Amino acid sequence: MAVVTDQVTLTVDGQSVTVAKGTLILDAAKKLGIEIPIFCSHPKMEPVAVCRMCLVEVEKMPKLQPACAVYVMDGMVVRTRTEQVQRYQNGVLEFLLANHPLDCPICDKGGECPLQDQTYTYGPGASRYDFPKKHFDKAVPLSDKILLDRERCVLCWRCTRFSAEISGERELALIQRGKDTIIGTFNDQPARSEYQGNWTEICPVGALTSRQYRFISRPWDLDRTATICPGCSMGCNVHADARHNRLGRFQARENLAVDDGWLCDFGRYSFPSFQREGIERPRVRRDGRLEEVSYEEAMAAAAQSLRRAGPATAGWASPAATNEELFLFQRLLREVLATPHLDHGRGRGEAATALEPDDAALPIADLERCDHVLLLGGQAVIDAAPVLHLRLFKSERKGVRVHRVDDARAALEAVPAEAQAVGIVSSLGRKPEVDSLQGKLARKVKGSVRRLLVPDGPNGRGATDLGFGPGRGPGYASLDGKAGRARPDWEAAGVRALYLFEASPLHDFQASGEEREWIQRLETVVLQRPRPSPLDDLAHVILPGRAFVEKAGTVTNMEGRVQRIRPAIDAAVVRDDWKILQGVAQALGADWRYRDPDEVFADLSRAVPAYRADRIGERALWSERA
Amino acid sequence: MPLRDVALGPYYLLKAMATTFKHNVRPVVTIEYPERQKPVPPRARGRHILHRYADGLEKCVGCELCAIACPVGCIVVEAAENTPELRVSPGERYAKRYEINLLRCIYCGLCEEACPYDAITMGPRYDLADDHPDKFIAVKEDLLEPLPASLADTAVPSAAPSAQKIPRKW
Amino acid sequence: MPQTELLETALEEARAAGYIGRNVLGSGFDVDVLLHRGAGAYICGEETALLTSLEGYRGEPRLKPPFPAVKGLYGKPTVVNNVETLATLPHIVRNGPDWFAAMGTPTGKGTRVWCMSGHVNRPGNYELEMGTPIRELIYEHGGGIWKGRSLKAFQPGGASMMVLLPEHLDVGLDFDAIAKAGSMAGAGAMMVMDETTCIVDVARRLVKFFEHESCGKCTPCREGTYWMANLFDRIEFGEGKPGDPDLLLDMGYNIDGRSFCPLGDASTWFPRSVIKYFRDEFEQHIVEKACPFRGEREAVA
Repeated sequence: MAVVTDQVTLTVDGQSVTVAKGTLILDAAKKLGIEIPIFCSHPKMEPVAVCRMCLVEVEKMPKLQPACAVYVMDGMVVRTRTEQVQRYQNGVLEFLLANHPLDCPICDKGGECPLQDQTYTYGPGASRYDFPKKHFDKAVPLSDKILLDRERCVLCWRCTRFSAEISGERELALIQRGKDTIIGTFNDQPARSEYQGNWTEICPVGALTSRQYRFISRPWDLDRTATICPGCSMGCNVHADARHNRLGRFQARENLAVDDGWLCDFGRYSFPSFQREGIERPRVRRDGRLEEVSYEEAMAAAAQSLRRAGPATAGWASPAATNEELFLFQRLLREVLATPHLDHGRGRGEAATALEPDDAALPIADLERCDHVLLLGGQAVIDAAPVLHLRLFKSERKGVRVHRVDDARAALEAVPAEAQAVGIVSSLGRKPEVDSLQGKLARKVKGSVRRLLVPDGPNGRGATDLGFGPGRGPGYASLDGKAGRARPDWEAAGVRALYLFEASPLHDFQASGEEREWIQRLETVVLQRPRPSPLDDLAHVILPGRAFVEKAGTVTNMEGRVQRIRPAIDAAVVRDDWKILQGVAQALGADWRYRDPDEVFADLSRAVPAYRADRIGERALWSERA
Repeated sequence: MPLRDVALGPYYLLKAMATTFKHNVRPVVTIEYPERQKPVPPRARGRHILHRYADGLEKCVGCELCAIACPVGCIVVEAAENTPELRVSPGERYAKRYEINLLRCIYCGLCEEACPYDAITMGPRYDLADDHPDKFIAVKEDLLEPLPASLADTAVPSAAPSAQKIPRKW
Repeated sequence: MPQTELLETALEEARAAGYIGRNVLGSGFDVDVLLHRGAGAYICGEETALLTSLEGYRGEPRLKPPFPAVKGLYGKPTVVNNVETLATLPHIVRNGPDWFAAMGTPTGKGTRVWCMSGHVNRPGNYELEMGTPIRELIYEHGGGIWKGRSLKAFQPGGASMMVLLPEHLDVGLDFDAIAKAGSMAGAGAMMVMDETTCIVDVARRLVKFFEHESCGKCTPCREGTYWMANLFDRIEFGEGKPGDPDLLLDMGYNIDGRSFCPLGDASTWFPRSVIKYFRDEFEQHIVEKACPFRGEREAVA
């Protein structure tokens, strides 16, 4: 066997471990399950070794070495729990706590604070510091989202490094020096970053805290649900933390393939709009007035009206509905009502004809493996999926050239012919343009050209894949000339009834003035939505459903990754959307007997084989289609 | 009946009466409960009391350590932030909601141990009988110490009014 | 500043003579010398902090490795030399290395400039052959202790170096000998203290200097120097507690060898050596609740 030269073997606390060259002692120890305490070190940032918490003994080195900054060498002998190391750990914690206010009882970090935990594990029981503590400003508003407590700050530089290395905005900096060092923005101007929430998560103490979560809960009181962010089609993984059935916060749930452990502020702070206020019951309009009825009555009323309209019904779904719901709704419309008029999202007739499975789509994580990335549309694309910026900035730091261009011609010129791997990032609305650009680029450059299109809404991609549009059926199946009309053309197509299915306050129908007038004239409007909507006045039947954070199912992100969402708050007062859809279909005479969303998914898999129950969490693979 | 017994009759009668009268003048060992109550030992663990500082501000900061220390989970605390308009406690944070389910409470005193601000202590009140389970949910107003006499008529802001206002016998 | 003017003049002369600038002496080699003035931070004497400061950032040391010779100014390989080194060069170039190496001791060749300050009659800069006894520097070149007093202690190598006592006067002025005596030659800044000096106050002032000059990057230096300064203040002004000298020693242990750059380490050396040699003075401060030298010093002043 050939000698592997990029592996080194070292000993940590008497145990031997083999790791790749360029590994930090810290990570080598972690591989063995040996924990070395850290504050400043962060796996996604350059080592700085400022907190000095991670010092360990390395044989043949006179001083203790920072495990977070020293790379392993062959034959290295590391000791992490010797008396000297322990005495030093004790000392550094005593130093850190000397001027720390110890206001843990009122600190939002209390209970999940690395400084607290490590003091219990490695620190002294009492401090010998008997001078008055240094005082700094407390609860300084850094922006409308973040508060900074300068007394609690241990100056680990994580937030300033995030600002410089991860988001590239350089908004936070160290000010003053020595014992007077503080964190701040330039001239105390409010921070404008779109990624400030991440500062609160990486802060190892309670110095940077979220204003929205301020004093909401103790971490041990939170009910934590692993789900997906409802903000956009990036599909960032989140922990939704609720207390007493009220959402308290979203926290990042690292998925290296999707979010790389970060969230944007739009998604992170979107949760208050999901808060359910009170109990709602279905309502039916009788003699011009909305009357509360039971679900069965309301569904029967909806079915009755829809049956009258039949194929003159149009169905609109929010791009925040789950795949299971979209599939059922699609069946309800196409099979039961026999109407071809389906659309979702803002319904600009988005590339309604040029749809195809996006097999060659560029996975998000592969952005950093390209050598040129074209951001066609510039900031508008970033605004549609803000975490993309962090991905692109990370790629740029790795040497990827990112071109922010507005038209395809400039894009074509920006990429040299010798490019090896080119990525095009744009919005789904510009698909025809991207298609032609991709073709031209493929002829121009030597390497591969792949694209990543950003749809609207957390499940915009799923809506397209499942054929929730006028042009294609589930799995991009051809409709054999029975294509319907897109949302802007419904009036012209003589649509008489409208079934609106909203699923998230962030991605609702948003009727324009003209659309409102048209909807007012319709004979039937069925509105299934999670919370009071401006369309309530126009609806004939209102079916309260669940919001994105209240239901179970799967959603598909921009790269085609099918991910599971789970109910973070209990909304038992309203019925599950898939049950409502099934109820309406049954009232219309369909013989549907789904017992849970998994059964719907099983059916969905039969129609769209790329979606497989055993591959949830992975990207849907279209080319494997039999 | 022998005459002797007849003659001794009044003697026994008087003897019995003497016993009765003797007990009549002995000190009373019972008290007129519930109109009067016995003082309890200073460290007795009765119903909880939430304390105030001398200036009337509440000591409790809503840290919820009592709630997590409670072995039966009978305490619910929700915190909120003090504002210049509504200052309830001296620092940044106060307890907006503080409820103890006295039926579930085992009067172990661990909440008192856990409190970093000595805001909650077990008080002397032990007779907590009432006629409906709902009345055993002690809210913040029930638990709070009355304002010091000097501040009795000053308006010291308190937390938002509690959800339920049930007259309690305790 | 006359020094910078002098240097600027020298650079202009060199430029005019074609020694620096484009196409040096017709060799086709371009090299220029730029004089950049720092803002006076002590930490910027640390080579990586100097480079960071030159780049326009906060003067803070960087992680080593990579060393400046690999990745220095603007990420390019950089050689960082002290003025002392540069000042010696012309003489070596002019007189040859053998001339230079013939001076001094086997382990410390040549000469060195010693900057003497403190309670001597003639403070100043003295360039002496390596190995010259300290006694010669203080009593011959420096003219002895001022006001006819006797020597209490001296610091041979600058603000951070360990204190030495009169018994070390015969130690030679070279790196090895001073190190053997328990101190370091360091920057060659000799500080002489007479018998009326309160050594606790000296340590206090030096620690306060380090507290002020600490950049705040690493925990032990930022918090440790602040704490030590507080402790020294307390002892000097009569509020010391019996355990304070030991607390200082322990804190020294926690800072030394554990801070990011040598500034933190160095801040502990002098106080610890002072506690070693003059613990009785600390006890006196603490027991008497006042500085025993204060009255005397004020009378002198």
